[in-house]
Amino acid sequence: MTEQRVVLVDGVAGYWGGRVAERLLTEPDLHIIGLDTAPPQQSSGIDFIQADIRNPLLVELLKEEKVHTYVHLAFRENERPTETAFEFNVMGTLKVLSACAQADVQRVILKSSTLIYGAAPGNSAFLREDHPLNAKRNFGTLRDLIEIENFCVGFRSQAPEVRLTLLRFANIIGPTVDSPLTRFLRDDTAPLLLGYDPVIQIIHEEDAVKALAHAAIYDVPGVYNVAAPGAMPLLKLTGLAGKLPVPVFHPLAYLGEALLGSRFTAFDFDYFRYPCVGDLQRMREDLEFTPTHLAEDAVREFAALRKHKAAAVDMTPQEVEEEHLRAIIERRQNIRRQLAQAGPSRPQPRGRLEAEVIAESADSNLYEEES
Amino acid sequence: MTEPKHTPHARSADTVPTDQEAVASNEGISASPPEPNGSRAESESEQGVPVEQLQQQLAQELKELAGRLQELSPALTPSQFPGAQGLIEATQSVLGKANFEKLRSLAGDLLDIDTWKGAWFIARQTMQLQVNTVQRRLQGEYETDEWGLDPEVLEAVIPFFEFLYRKYWRVSTTGLEHVPDSGRALLVANHSGQLPFDGAMLAAAIKLDHPSNRLIRTMFAAWFPTLPFVAPLFVKCGQVLATEDNGVRLLENDELVSVFPEGYKGVGKLYQERYQLARFGRGGFIRMALKTQAPILPVAVVGAEETYISIAKSEVLAKLAGFPYFPITPAFPWLGPLGLIPLPTKWFIDIGAPIPLDSYGPQADQNLLLVSQLTDQVRGVVQKMINDRLAQRRSVFRG
Repeated sequence: MTEQRVVLVDGVAGYWGGRVAERLLTEPDLHIIGLDTAPPQQSSGIDFIQADIRNPLLVELLKEEKVHTYVHLAFRENERPTETAFEFNVMGTLKVLSACAQADVQRVILKSSTLIYGAAPGNSAFLREDHPLNAKRNFGTLRDLIEIENFCVGFRSQAPEVRLTLLRFANIIGPTVDSPLTRFLRDDTAPLLLGYDPVIQIIHEEDAVKALAHAAIYDVPGVYNVAAPGAMPLLKLTGLAGKLPVPVFHPLAYLGEALLGSRFTAFDFDYFRYPCVGDLQRMREDLEFTPTHLAEDAVREFAALRKHKAAAVDMTPQEVEEEHLRAIIERRQNIRRQLAQAGPSRPQPRGRLEAEVIAESADSNLYEEES
Repeated sequence: MTEPKHTPHARSADTVPTDQEAVASNEGISASPPEPNGSRAESESEQGVPVEQLQQQLAQELKELAGRLQELSPALTPSQFPGAQGLIEATQSVLGKANFEKLRSLAGDLLDIDTWKGAWFIARQTMQLQVNTVQRRLQGEYETDEWGLDPEVLEAVIPFFEFLYRKYWRVSTTGLEHVPDSGRALLVANHSGQLPFDGAMLAAAIKLDHPSNRLIRTMFAAWFPTLPFVAPLFVKCGQVLATEDNGVRLLENDELVSVFPEGYKGVGKLYQERYQLARFGRGGFIRMALKTQAPILPVAVVGAEETYISIAKSEVLAKLAGFPYFPITPAFPWLGPLGLIPLPTKWFIDIGAPIPLDSYGPQADQNLLLVSQLTDQVRGVVQKMINDRLAQRRSVFRG
């Protein structure tokens, strides 16, 4: 293709939008448009447009810019279901999808989670993509994702010309990402269930970014579970991550959850009790994507950084905006520190980070302090 | 030593050596000392005890005794009686293990401070090893496979099941030659005994007695994942939840899979219904085998039905406890946890000839009629194997 393909990434001021846009910038035959209500922290090279995805003129924008691929990453993580988040996540996605259909956008990429299958005693060890979405709806993020996915089923038959790619990621882990799993691992007192040790599947944040970029670059419509090979028992994960397990007898844990609400844990307790592991056959064979980090390496890397960060950062769950702001501050601090240190000569840690991702360079000096 | 003291011993042996045997054995003694271990001979020669002389005296006495016995009752015929020499050797082989000199030296050792230092050292090392293992595992430094199988945990529990298999239920297994050394196969067995020990014993049979020492992936019901401690233990021992997807995937990986298609209906049978097979599920195991072209090995487990005598089932208690069924036995729940101790019956595990399913073609698993016919066929084979074994069995406890 001689002409540059136009890829629009929304939510570029957010973590995923920003990182995927940065990753896509390295592709020479792509023109990247960033869309968000606030400007991104690193806007170098991104053709940024400041607008809300729910703006009715989004169709006009897509038509005008001849957008070929729409990467929809504007999503508000929410623990307890809230109406504003639902408005933004579900209704926003709905509007994006219908705008894409009207504006002849060829491909749409959405980010989802394997947790929407729900953890249940009858779950097979490896859940295929056609498994029903049985997750409990008491966690806002999962409720919104299920709503979005259910809408996508109808959308696929209504607008078959839009090629929809849904990537369902396992628990995301990594040095910079804020996910339920990293929140859980950073919290020293977050409880586990006594006598249960289900197999947990994870993926490194960098691989998640790569997978999203992969879906934007290649034509791979469909639904895929995306996770690192080497799922491991939960206690092995917490052991490797250096988190002291705090086991709670499960009826007490569920009682506590019922009485206090789901605030004192990042997950529903079912995920500490029953397995919820995606089958990766389609990822390997149809998506043709191979994660670069093995699950164990990703955890070791996380543990190494956590030890370093443990004293400095208080990681209790906060409002989403606060999280975003902190991420921005951290990033800017890192850049400043990196500038101050001339000629970084960092040791190669076990769970290596690849230098090719631009965003990583900002975080790379964390390793130096470790040594 | 007086003669009457010896008489009952000789009588108990019931046989008498010939003179020639006794002579030959005497010669044998003088020619080569019958010491089972050389160290002992050395230690005795150091202390100056003439062992050979004592033994010769003993042999002589025995010979005399035998002669006297023959005089008393001429009907006695010398048969395979080992002879004086053999008797001494047999005694030595028993006493030799006790090894009095070693005991005597041990008594001396007990007074030696170095013994206790050594014991303390060994105990501390053992303890340290255990602590290190626990510490290492707490730090997550161990390997599992994609299903969650943890070889270290498996190794740790095998001795317990080996005890159950060899000593407690004295399982005799036949038909091990039908189990392939490698490659897929699906073992289909009857289910019985209130607690699913039959699955563990079938796995133990292959793990301990089959030349390949393969691990069976036993498929368990969806109730077990809800149980604390049981759920992770099952998974770490390589067992897998019974779903069709899991079974197909295991067989495609060329694993050995065992299923108990009767499920709760089978394992929770009343005593009066013993050895009458319940419905074989919905034929899911046949679909698994057809999809993967795996041969089916029918397995009959006899003896497990009598480990608990279930007189009745309480639906109310089952509902209260959240159990799929709640058996009432003469001991359970009256004696509490003691009522859970199974009876030490004698078990038989018979593995039948493989039933090949590869002639039905790749789409055969969607043929409902074929699936139900094959289900009934396999059920019939297992029932017949059970009936055959029951016809041969004379005692529940001795086989």
